[in-house]
Amino acid sequence: MTYVEIPLPRLGIALGLVILAVALSRRTRLDLERDLALGAVRCAAQLLAIGYVLRLLFAHEHPAWVLLALGVMLLVAAFTSARRVEHGPGARALFPRALAAIAAGAAVALLPVFLLVVVPHPWFEARYLVPVGGMMLASAMNVVALVFERIFASAHTEAAAIEQLLALGASPRQALGPQVRKAVRAALIPTINGLTTVGLVALPGMMTGQIVGGTAPEQAVRYQIVIMYQLVAVAAVSGTLAATFARRLLFTRRAQLVVIEPRR
Amino acid sequence: MPPLPPRIEVRDLVVIRKERRLLDGATIAVAPGAVAVIDGASGCGKTTFLRAMATLIPVDAGSILLEGVDAASLAPPAFRRRVAYVPQQPPMLDGTVADNLATGPRLRGAALAPAATGALLERVGLDASFGERVAGELSGGERLRVAFARALANEPVVLLLDEPTAALDPASATRIVELVRALAGEGLSVVVVTHVEEHAERLGGDRYRCRDGRLARRSEAP
Repeated sequence: MTYVEIPLPRLGIALGLVILAVALSRRTRLDLERDLALGAVRCAAQLLAIGYVLRLLFAHEHPAWVLLALGVMLLVAAFTSARRVEHGPGARALFPRALAAIAAGAAVALLPVFLLVVVPHPWFEARYLVPVGGMMLASAMNVVALVFERIFASAHTEAAAIEQLLALGASPRQALGPQVRKAVRAALIPTINGLTTVGLVALPGMMTGQIVGGTAPEQAVRYQIVIMYQLVAVAAVSGTLAATFARRLLFTRRAQLVVIEPRR
Repeated sequence: MPPLPPRIEVRDLVVIRKERRLLDGATIAVAPGAVAVIDGASGCGKTTFLRAMATLIPVDAGSILLEGVDAASLAPPAFRRRVAYVPQQPPMLDGTVADNLATGPRLRGAALAPAATGALLERVGLDASFGERVAGELSGGERLRVAFARALANEPVVLLLDEPTAALDPASATRIVELVRALAGEGLSVVVVTHVEEHAERLGGDRYRCRDGRLARRSEAP
């Protein structure tokens, strides 16, 4: 198995691409230079760090370490999707719910696959669990953030219509039904688009990486098919759960729409 | 003849928001077929009172009795089907007027027959052909009538109306006042919030003045 190695100085050349974007941002006054620079630094620092973490994990393969790594990734994903939700009830209420929605979606996608489809030996083999787990957690994070964002925003702007439905005898589930459906659909559509365009437009990162690493393309695509199907399950399960949690936060026990005060 | 027992009775309702007592012991009782008219300066808690009475907002103390039964012991949808609330600017739901009218029955898994739609529209003074119109394109007065008809489709026994004539031209307002009187004549108990003295007088019924979150009885029905 051979591949072209990247020496550190050549990473610097790649950095030129970000500098190009910074220059464009400055020239067209997008005011994104700071974000770009910070993002580039964080990206490099986080990935270099995870490179060493993975190296350590592979060298000292033990279930506790692998599960700890996945646990930390889950916490960061939940934290990220629970913050800055406009018109939402605040991170303290959203974090545990995001955690549950992401964990459930990831578990549904990962457990059957690692038990029946791609069966690692030993079961906790980090080079399967961590990258595939990471992909599922990242996808769940985006889905949950989007569902929270959309449901709380639409409950805010459409409060009068929701309350009108309640006044006509709707249950909270009925009153918020249109908003929930829209939000979960919106969360699923990128995944569905991914299913229909994969291979035609984008060759996904995992597959590309495996091919670069020397895996036979016909095996690499099988991995990718499994990943795509897992992402569908993640979006459906995490999205539906996030919507359910959001709905429960939006109504009292007596089926009254909760007014969420804007946070400063 | 002894007075009828109240159809809906509100006892010592208290609503506190951000340490402010929006309602501070509001009490009212309305008999079948009776109209209660509430006036008072804006910000005195009239709308809060109606919304609390419709169980759309949590209350901090007090009770609401529907035909002697505590609202807290009823499922909220069941209570709200019997106690209809029409806000000052009732939002139209997506679809046609007929879709709007069918909403209440649909929510409990029932359908509204076309003949029933036509009858409801005529009851609020609209032509039966109105059912085909797109609800979002109606004028203020038409919306209000559609909102009345939509509420009546649930066959409520109590009607809570928030400033039903405020946004209307005088002719439309007069028709709404007559409609409210007619509905009371059919046996509905109606609570109307209005600040238009002329309409309040023409509605008849018991008069209440809202002040500092309480309701003071002003006069008996003539």
